[in-house]
Amino acid sequence: MSDAPQLVVAVDQARCIGSGLCARTAPADLALAPNGRALPTRPATGGSAELTEAAEMCPVEAITVRDATTGALVAPVW
Amino acid sequence: MTAEPTTDPTGARPAAPNAPTAATVPLVPLHCLLRSEAGPPRLAALPTGTPVWVLTRHADVRQALAHPDLGRSSLYAPDAPPTVLTPNILDDPSSILNSDGPEHQAIRRTVQRAFTPRAVERWRPWVDGVVRELVGELVASGSPAEVVGALTKPLPVRVISRLMELEGLDTERLGHWSDHALSTTAYSAEEIAVAIREFGEFGHQLVVERRKNPGEDLVSSLVQAADQTGGMTEAQITSLTIGLVIAGHETTMTSFGNALVYLLDPDRAEHPGHPEHPDRTGATDRTGPAERDAGAWRRIGADLAAAAAATEQILRTVPLGDRTNAPGQLRRATADLEIGGVTIPAGAIVAADTTAANADPEVYPPGPLDLFAPLGTPSLTFGAGPHHCLGAWLARMELELGLHHLARALPDLRLATPVDRIEWRTGLLTRSPLRLEVAW
Repeated sequence: MSDAPQLVVAVDQARCIGSGLCARTAPADLALAPNGRALPTRPATGGSAELTEAAEMCPVEAITVRDATTGALVAPVW
Repeated sequence: MTAEPTTDPTGARPAAPNAPTAATVPLVPLHCLLRSEAGPPRLAALPTGTPVWVLTRHADVRQALAHPDLGRSSLYAPDAPPTVLTPNILDDPSSILNSDGPEHQAIRRTVQRAFTPRAVERWRPWVDGVVRELVGELVASGSPAEVVGALTKPLPVRVISRLMELEGLDTERLGHWSDHALSTTAYSAEEIAVAIREFGEFGHQLVVERRKNPGEDLVSSLVQAADQTGGMTEAQITSLTIGLVIAGHETTMTSFGNALVYLLDPDRAEHPGHPEHPDRTGATDRTGPAERDAGAWRRIGADLAAAAAATEQILRTVPLGDRTNAPGQLRRATADLEIGGVTIPAGAIVAADTTAANADPEVYPPGPLDLFAPLGTPSLTFGAGPHHCLGAWLARMELELGLHHLARALPDLRLATPVDRIEWRTGLLTRSPLRLEVAW
């Protein structure tokens, strides 16, 4: 998905409960910080099925994946 | 299974206690229990005598529950010290509750999608319908009424039964097994063993049946997900299935019953040791406690957003149980680690006291509780980390809609039994009213 639009991942630090599901599902894009909260690993990403799944699977919906240009929500949308 | 020989030559089993046992001495309602003050980690002992590091600060509890080196499965390792006096169904090593890391994640993934906030929000219309129907029947039965049997117990049972398509099954039996699942002292080890076997057989039959004839229900979808990805044992699939039944039968009922005791307790303001009370909303308020109570109750009935805010505050401030079995959520260190300025060695047991952490003055302003104020920082009632409660959003929704519709239909609702005469379900990990007489 290298020619997919650039995406920006954000994690709501107040909502994040540190389940670690996202970091295990999409380790290229999300990691668990020492404070027990998830953080994006890079400023922008091409996206992947794993990243979409991580955003959809988050138990508290703390993750959003948006189009870097338009700001449109890419995941979770189901 | 053949029965174990008993000391009774007739083979009759000893008389079953009136279980879950009804307490004979008055117990304080859960909202009046004294809780530990948030402070540095301290060393204490479990009822088994095993030393335990108790964490009480919000930051420490949260860090511990999300810490990769603090696990659940190691609590059941051969070298683990004893942490429970009488193991119950929740001590099953196959349980999602007692697995860690990738194995835990494989189990959780099979059901997680069904329990995200947006997934749960899609169930709102029919949960709302169930609540209205039960409240309608309660109102029609006339004052006085018994609200546990009429509402707080059947609501979560109906919701989980519909999600799992358990309708038509023996709900009494499911409730009976669920009680054993959470037993601390209510049942003997032998009774618990029988319930574990029967519940396990029921769960496995359900799994086999839904695998053969899948439907749209939660059991079918979790079996399909598990079979597609592989890696889950049949024991784990069965344990997850009965775990959902247990969760659907117990904790929301407990929370709802205790919330009603809290909201309808006419003497809340006079209970010592509980400064965080909505009745203590400043010296300028000159109305009596009863009038102010009615104000909060009516507001929950008039405004759904107020009911949602109150639900969060109640979940934060009213604990689910007495915590006599353990001073918090147990974990075991799999490596040396540091929390709250203390080094916890590998192999040590840690208890994360979420009740104390939920009152940590560093996070939640001390003083009078505003029942309708947003929380700011999420409470730790549903935990944190990988084992954060799967059903958190469903429980919130049931409680919010339950309180709202009951208060809307019956704005003058009051307890018909004095608080010190309430009969409690005891001997379980949770404590809630066995019966709660109300009038209007």
